[in-house]
Amino acid sequence: MTASVIPLLKPTRLLYVMIALPVVGILAFTTLRPIQVLPRITLAPGFSLVDQNGARLTNEDLRGRIVLYNFTYANCGGACPQTSAVMRALQNRLGEIDAGEIPVALVTISFDPERDTPERLRAYATQVGADATRWRIATGDATRLKYALGGGFNLYYAPNPDDTFTFDPLFVLVDGWGIVRAYYKTATPATDRLLRDLRLIVDEARNSAGAARYAYEAAHVFLCSPP
Amino acid sequence: MILLGAAVLLVGRWLTPHTFHGAILQSPLPAQDFSLMSHVGQRVALSDLRGKIVLLYFGYTICPDVCPTTLAELAQARKLLGRDADQVQVLMITVDPERDTIPVLADYVVHFSSTFLGLRGTPDETAQVATYYGIYYEKHDSDSALGYLVDHTATVMVIDRNGYLRLVFPFGTPAEDMASDLQYLLRK
Repeated sequence: MTASVIPLLKPTRLLYVMIALPVVGILAFTTLRPIQVLPRITLAPGFSLVDQNGARLTNEDLRGRIVLYNFTYANCGGACPQTSAVMRALQNRLGEIDAGEIPVALVTISFDPERDTPERLRAYATQVGADATRWRIATGDATRLKYALGGGFNLYYAPNPDDTFTFDPLFVLVDGWGIVRAYYKTATPATDRLLRDLRLIVDEARNSAGAARYAYEAAHVFLCSPP
Repeated sequence: MILLGAAVLLVGRWLTPHTFHGAILQSPLPAQDFSLMSHVGQRVALSDLRGKIVLLYFGYTICPDVCPTTLAELAQARKLLGRDADQVQVLMITVDPERDTIPVLADYVVHFSSTFLGLRGTPDETAQVATYYGIYYEKHDSDSALGYLVDHTATVMVIDRNGYLRLVFPFGTPAEDMASDLQYLLRK
């Protein structure tokens, strides 16, 4: 045993080993990507809204929660892009990833504050099958909404003369720090894809203390993003 | 042997990636520009400050505890940077533009550091900038002699020398931790 240890302790060999180990480690980390993270893209906007039950909903209330947002209005029907089915499907499967430790929330923001009173939002919530403990539907002051949705979330929406809206369907995933982690620019993102992305953030939040944190932060520095 | 040990330590340190105390962002686009009146009576735009690291904070002068604590930590973090401090510009944008007039702001920010800049927009400009930077703020009545208070998000944002949002520090991040992250950004 001593025979194998002694040569290693030769000063030059030891130096080589000490240099090689971290290099090999970093190479292995960046090529094998044992930890995948979603990039931290930008800050989600600040807002203060009123939900379907007349309760205040701000981005600060949602700090510490992972939130999936979508954007629509209660009168969205017919030719209007339908995004609520995806939210509903996700609501029904949230139990798969949310064990209570890292809370996950769904938020629908209406860009039609003139018509979408809390009563109408409540009716809309019933229509789409929203569970009020998980899925909040809210709106707020029109000018502030324009800043938060148009400027902050990069959502395109514009009113038409017939009280309908033209808009590009969009889902946005925001982490507990209030940082945007993914945009889905489609009316029908795959539920499995959304669940996978949510799970990545839940795992990151769960490992945000101790040694695991270093590995996760390294994954951010080396941009180990999923395909 | 001692020399070798020191060499190993140095190499190890050099190879270990810096672990940020704040949340690091991979912003694909530069941070939203803004141009607001500063307490020295000149408009200051974020884009005027390219080449410096900008620490952006939203607060107000009647703020009872959160703002003075954060501004004092920011002043301390700057001090810890030593001669690199002049590469870091602290901006405080008021979320209470009605009461924080330019002279009021001027009195307030220099109390923490003569290098800090207090910025004030119209209520509408303030709403736009704050919303974009994820800042929630809302007035609420209080019984105190101060009149109303303003609830607001108390994070500190770090914009790098190229104008990209790079780091977010939550409220309560110690000056030492902020200084360590800033030192890393300055070395790059």
